[in-house]
Amino acid sequence: MAKSKKEAAVTAAPETATKKMTEQELFSFVEYKPEEAERTGYTEYSYWGAVWKSFLKKKSAVIFSCVFLVLFVFAMFIALPMGKYQWQTLEPDNSKMFITPNSEYWFGTDNLGRDYWCQVWYSAQTSIKLSSLVGLGEALLGIIVGCIWGYIRKLDRFFTELYNIMTNVPTIIYMTLIALMLGQNFFIMCVALIAFGWMGMARQVRNLVIMYRDREYNLASRCLGTRLGTMLTKNILPYLVSVIILRVALSIPRTIAAETTLSYLGLGLDINTPSLGILLRNARSWFMDFPHLLVFPAAIVSVITITFYLVGNAFSDACDPRNHV
Amino acid sequence: MENTPILSVKDLHIQFVLRERKLNAIRGASLDLYKGETLAIVGESGSGKSVLTKAFIGMTDKNGTITSGSINYDGMDLATFKTEKQWREIRGKKISMVMQDPMTSLNPLRKIGPQIQESIELNQGLKGAEAKAEALRMLEAVGIPDPERRYNQYPHEFSGGMRQRVVIAIAVACRPEILICDEPTTALDVTIQAQILELISNLQKELHMTIIYITHDLGVVAHVADRVAVMYAGQIVEVGLVDEIFYNAWHPYTWALLSALPQLGVKGEKLPTIDGTPPNLFNEIHGDAFAPRNRHALGIDFVQEPPFFQVSPTHRVKTWYLDPRAPKIERPRSISRLSDIMKHQADADDVVLPHEDPNREALIQVRNLQVAFGNGRRKFVAVDNVNFDIYRGETFALVGESGSGKTTIGRAILRINPVTKGEVLYKGRKINGKISKSLDREVIQGCQMVFQDPMASLNERAKVDYIISEGLRNFHLYKDEADREKKVQDALIEVGLLPEFASRFPHEFSGGQRQRIGIARALIMQPEFVVADEPISALDVSIRAQVLNLLNELKKTRGLTYLFVAHDLSVVRFFSDRIAVISKGRIVELAESEEIFRHPLHPYTQSLLSAVPIPDPEIEKAKKLFVYDPSIHDYSVDKPTWCEIIPGHFVYGNERELDGYRKTLNV
Repeated sequence: MAKSKKEAAVTAAPETATKKMTEQELFSFVEYKPEEAERTGYTEYSYWGAVWKSFLKKKSAVIFSCVFLVLFVFAMFIALPMGKYQWQTLEPDNSKMFITPNSEYWFGTDNLGRDYWCQVWYSAQTSIKLSSLVGLGEALLGIIVGCIWGYIRKLDRFFTELYNIMTNVPTIIYMTLIALMLGQNFFIMCVALIAFGWMGMARQVRNLVIMYRDREYNLASRCLGTRLGTMLTKNILPYLVSVIILRVALSIPRTIAAETTLSYLGLGLDINTPSLGILLRNARSWFMDFPHLLVFPAAIVSVITITFYLVGNAFSDACDPRNHV
Repeated sequence: MENTPILSVKDLHIQFVLRERKLNAIRGASLDLYKGETLAIVGESGSGKSVLTKAFIGMTDKNGTITSGSINYDGMDLATFKTEKQWREIRGKKISMVMQDPMTSLNPLRKIGPQIQESIELNQGLKGAEAKAEALRMLEAVGIPDPERRYNQYPHEFSGGMRQRVVIAIAVACRPEILICDEPTTALDVTIQAQILELISNLQKELHMTIIYITHDLGVVAHVADRVAVMYAGQIVEVGLVDEIFYNAWHPYTWALLSALPQLGVKGEKLPTIDGTPPNLFNEIHGDAFAPRNRHALGIDFVQEPPFFQVSPTHRVKTWYLDPRAPKIERPRSISRLSDIMKHQADADDVVLPHEDPNREALIQVRNLQVAFGNGRRKFVAVDNVNFDIYRGETFALVGESGSGKTTIGRAILRINPVTKGEVLYKGRKINGKISKSLDREVIQGCQMVFQDPMASLNERAKVDYIISEGLRNFHLYKDEADREKKVQDALIEVGLLPEFASRFPHEFSGGQRQRIGIARALIMQPEFVVADEPISALDVSIRAQVLNLLNELKKTRGLTYLFVAHDLSVVRFFSDRIAVISKGRIVELAESEEIFRHPLHPYTQSLLSAVPIPDPEIEKAKKLFVYDPSIHDYSVDKPTWCEIIPGHFVYGNERELDGYRKTLNV
């Protein structure tokens, strides 16, 4: 019903304008409608709808996200089944070392004569899984800690000191210790990266929470007796959406890079779980002569990294309502 | 005044492109400026008054262009200027501008002196020591004591009023012919405002400048202007001498502006209001832009744009009312001379004195309240030793300048700010500190707040429905979803909004509508006591009356009690029953509102009263400014007390001062 009323209001004005009026009509008083004065010129608005619309305006981000989507589906569901070899059953074969890509071995073979196609795609799967898990874990931990850190004044000191201590010791030291003490596998790697990756998110969330905490609308909520949890989820976190999305999006390439670096140094995943980092480490000894060993994993890392960077930026811009109207 | 204008604007159009949509900010404005005069341009925000004057110095934002028309100055057409080089000859040298906010118009990282000196060196060609001497002279000219020392200080070492003086010094340093003052005192306190206005008019005489004031405050206009131009929706709708505008206006928008002034209010009566908001300039406007908000619009107003009619050689109005064919129209009574109304009010003896009512019940009692921020070494006492009672059904106004602690008191009562000493009683029970859960709930429901800035006080990411029902949800004060929705819609209707607004987001509303949403949010809790923290100071003149009327009506229908925090004494007179004047964290005087206006005792109250600009040129021109100097109080031996000097009239002072006050009152 509201809608039809509105349409009527829109059409009313031009109608009166076009109707021919006699001079007497022109110079007589018109009935005054207070509710007409109350209407404003805006249309219906939905937050996520507007987010989506302004995201679609960024062409590069849209293209890259399509590329990534294809890559993702291909890596997760198609690449391995369509390959001729299975990763689990690969055997070293000296007679097939360093074959360049051909119809039998689509990505060639490595230094031990194993099919490179299934290794690359299996690694891509590992990296995508690891980075999404770590990204989500960091976000969750970072947001929770950041909110508590920012909102509860008494805990500010404690968390600030904790943050200072943790960020001032190089990550590489923690990772070495963890690798030596707990061993190297997918799960440990995940937990270790989350355990030392949440600080950046927490710090940023904390700063923003402090910024929004004493805004008048939050004072109003306090006057209305709103509980802490509702305040955070309804009043403050919605303002942080764009920042959080950007951080999560950027943490995915960062995790892939971290995993690659750590594996390269021998501190990442164990040798039995191939990852892009392990492939790259392996490739360094031979890539001058056999560039295919480097090119395929590096290309996948690059596509993922660039995509998340572009899409993350575009999406966080789109989430900012200042860019909507 | 000479007959040839020094600056002449002809049919100027300025268009902005915003996200591929065209906004017609100025829609054919014409204006003449005569040498030596003070012209005031008034209008609501968004009426285009700033845009128009920025075009005179080539400071229109990048996405704005002059699409047609001309600005003639000194034989040149400024509208055709393209390069910065052309503008540099005009800007600062011939036409200069003072911006609104002194906090942001100075470079915080440079000393004051060099900032003035830079302007002198660039525009006057003086160098080194000569320029410095000139800068020092300028500092002295704008009334900054001890210029030698001040020269080497940074902006943060200056108060707001002092900074505005520095900004003015920079603007007039190169003796411009025309000085544009864009709301030069809006960000300042009234007592400072009066001083700045005086300074500008002295400089005008000394330097023979022509001044354009941009302002929305008709009190300031009455004080300073020779001529007034009223702007609405990018057009100048009425131009005339100040007396012609104030006493003989013809445009319905000017009438509306004048009659919606809270100063003109009569206690217990509704203020005339202007409903709605200015038109959206993205759309094409047919006819008179003001027609949809005009209660007595003519049919032709919607069809054809009115031409200018000449009322007198100096007075032009753009309205169909002056067309010979138009029906005779009665001009609203409320625009008759303010001085008459004020005199009538002063003579009236039918004032009900609430202090004589023996049955009144104190709803809120504040006892020896102290609020301090920070701890240990850096403790700052914002409010100290404050005592007052608020009785059921009254409007208690707390008036003071910025930083006086008035908002802090309001927030301390609602337990947002911690109370360091003293206590707050609600219906006789202590509510500060640790209290039981049931009392906490009762206080939350019973005491609510309306905030100052409608832009900041609504959660932008939630729908109006959620914002209004937030309190209901917290205490589950509804039967089912349908009941909740109905309550929200009732609240919206009660504050004069459409129920369908519930499904929208706050950014779709204008300031006045947002403020009413804020009021609905407080009302839905069925409170008895509402703290209204400067609820109209962030609103446009035309919308203030709406909000005040609404608050007054709710007071009647719901029997609400208000603590009304304000910085403007004139608004408070019409609105409140009792007034407390607060200065530097202490209440210095408290009395019934008419009593305080008739017999102000404390010198601070007197200075506040004298500084408030009154929108009537006759009163303004005769007015004398009274400046308060806190050092007149000698409290070293004779300690001051809070004393009820006559029933209902409290004042803060020591014995000697109190004796003086008693003498003035003849008691």
